[in-house]
Amino acid sequence: MKPARFQFWKNPQGIILLLTFVALLIFPQVVQNPFVLHLLIMMLFYASLGAAWNIIGGFAGQLSLGHAAFFGLGAYTCVLLHHYTGVSPWVGMLLGVLIASLFAAAIGYPCFRLRGPFFTLATIAFAEVLRILVIYFKDFTKGSVGITIPQKMGLANFMFREKEPYLYIILIFTAGVFLISHLIEKSRFGYQLIALREDEDAAESLGVNTARTKLKAAIISAALTSFGGVFYAQYILFIEPYSEFSLDLSIQFALVPMIGGMGTSIGPIIGSFVLTPLQELLRSWLGGQFAGLYLVIYGVILMLVVIFLPQGILGLVKGRWASSGEKS
Amino acid sequence: MQELIQLTINGLLQGGIYSLISIGLTLIFGVTRVVNFAHGEFLMLAMYATFFLFQMSGMDPYFSLLVVTPLLFVLGLVAERLVIHPILNAPSFMQIFSTVGLSVALQNAALFFWTADYRSVKTAYSTETLVVSDLLISVPRLIAFGSAVLISWGIFLYLKKTYTGKAMRAVAQNRTASTLMGINIRKIYFLTFGLGTALVGMAGVLLMPVYYVFPTVGGLFVLTAFVVVVLGGMGNLTGAFAGGLIIGLVESYSGFYLATQLKEAVYFIIFILVLFLKPSGLYGIVGSEEMGEK
Repeated sequence: MKPARFQFWKNPQGIILLLTFVALLIFPQVVQNPFVLHLLIMMLFYASLGAAWNIIGGFAGQLSLGHAAFFGLGAYTCVLLHHYTGVSPWVGMLLGVLIASLFAAAIGYPCFRLRGPFFTLATIAFAEVLRILVIYFKDFTKGSVGITIPQKMGLANFMFREKEPYLYIILIFTAGVFLISHLIEKSRFGYQLIALREDEDAAESLGVNTARTKLKAAIISAALTSFGGVFYAQYILFIEPYSEFSLDLSIQFALVPMIGGMGTSIGPIIGSFVLTPLQELLRSWLGGQFAGLYLVIYGVILMLVVIFLPQGILGLVKGRWASSGEKS
Repeated sequence: MQELIQLTINGLLQGGIYSLISIGLTLIFGVTRVVNFAHGEFLMLAMYATFFLFQMSGMDPYFSLLVVTPLLFVLGLVAERLVIHPILNAPSFMQIFSTVGLSVALQNAALFFWTADYRSVKTAYSTETLVVSDLLISVPRLIAFGSAVLISWGIFLYLKKTYTGKAMRAVAQNRTASTLMGINIRKIYFLTFGLGTALVGMAGVLLMPVYYVFPTVGGLFVLTAFVVVVLGGMGNLTGAFAGGLIIGLVESYSGFYLATQLKEAVYFIIFILVLFLKPSGLYGIVGSEEMGEK
């Protein structure tokens, strides 16, 4: 297996993606409807976070349901730093990414000894502990009341009156996460991840240092996820522990690649572009008068996808695992 | 000293409820190897059933055990057929997602039909307490604890003595060998799911006189139940029973000596430590933590 070179623009998939990227760049110049722009931002937001999760969850097959921990760590580091010292959120973002990566390294090492549902439960526990601690140390974190970020618009403060700049930032970020995923998918590192997902013992016996490989993937995934947390905080200008560290959020991150196609770089993008509009539309149609109804539909869709579409939309389209790197 | 004894009593009484919820969860895991994230929602449904039976026909919550338990058993069977059965051989993350989907759907169906209001059953004995030399013992909690012990004992006997019970234990130990011995494992999965759900249903009924019901109540208990189940060793019933009592005590002590808000953090940290130090749980067989993998 020789890793292919980085040349996704040579296939139709890549060309479609490139065209989508360009279309999204031009889009806000043509359409200024805030709801549409918000929808696009959320689609890209979940695409990027799904793709970040996919690096450890999809490629390496380590089903984390605690990614909200990295998301919350990024958001809280950045917002607290800004709150207490007035340092620009961009600096806070770097610190947040650093802290989330360190946290991933610290919990990753012991967690990766666990397999199957035990790994998943441990990741849930870590996110829960963080949430409880953030609520408890309320003198420092403002507890469950949350923090409203004071409005000081401008690029230096990562804060904008219009939706357009947010769209561009998240678009570039999504493209970045996609490129990273694509590079991983086609690299030796990516093959190692897929090998250990398929059979950890076999990968180990073939000379893959599984512990270190998984740790590397976890750190990349955590760093990217924490940027998502910073972005979200700066977008809605408010953070509170229940939503930042919630299990629902972690589930959403994992669900996006699952709907699209896990363990492929394009899967999370497809997943989010299908799931997010569906969710937002269901919510705006049914959310008002029928509380909960759209989530009932959401839950049912989730079950149906697992039962009838275990390989995601890509699997439906291609009838087999999409990426050539995944033939087992 | 007085205070310590009181805390111990409170912890054990609360722990009994945890044990009952967790025994259902661990039974389902042990036999089918499915981590059921919708377990808490069955608790919620049982609590609502108890509430509505009380409100509409004035049925005493304890009497409604006779109605709610079979109801939940059937519900468990239906859930197994629709949601678990098709994914029994899927990787564990697929199963987790399927049961998460069930949990989200049930939770929000409850929100849709019954709103987010907190509801409780007010009976004559809801606030009754026994006073034993300055120690306060809540009567409905004592009843819940006693029933939890009896029900668990009944389940142990069932698994030990009956043919189906033995078949369940056999499937838990080795799927392939049990199939070879002529056990219809599909039927065993089916029954186990019903049984585990009936158990959590009984816990819901017993909880109702001392607790509120609302659509997300299951989420509160299911994470605790996961902690208990891992602590006791996944699939280990005795472990789950002991684990429930331990977590009840931990919660009671840490809530008093540390801070109420931190009690969850304490048992999650215990959970993480157990996972790292002895992932097979206190009573589990070493290596059993990998049985989740197929």
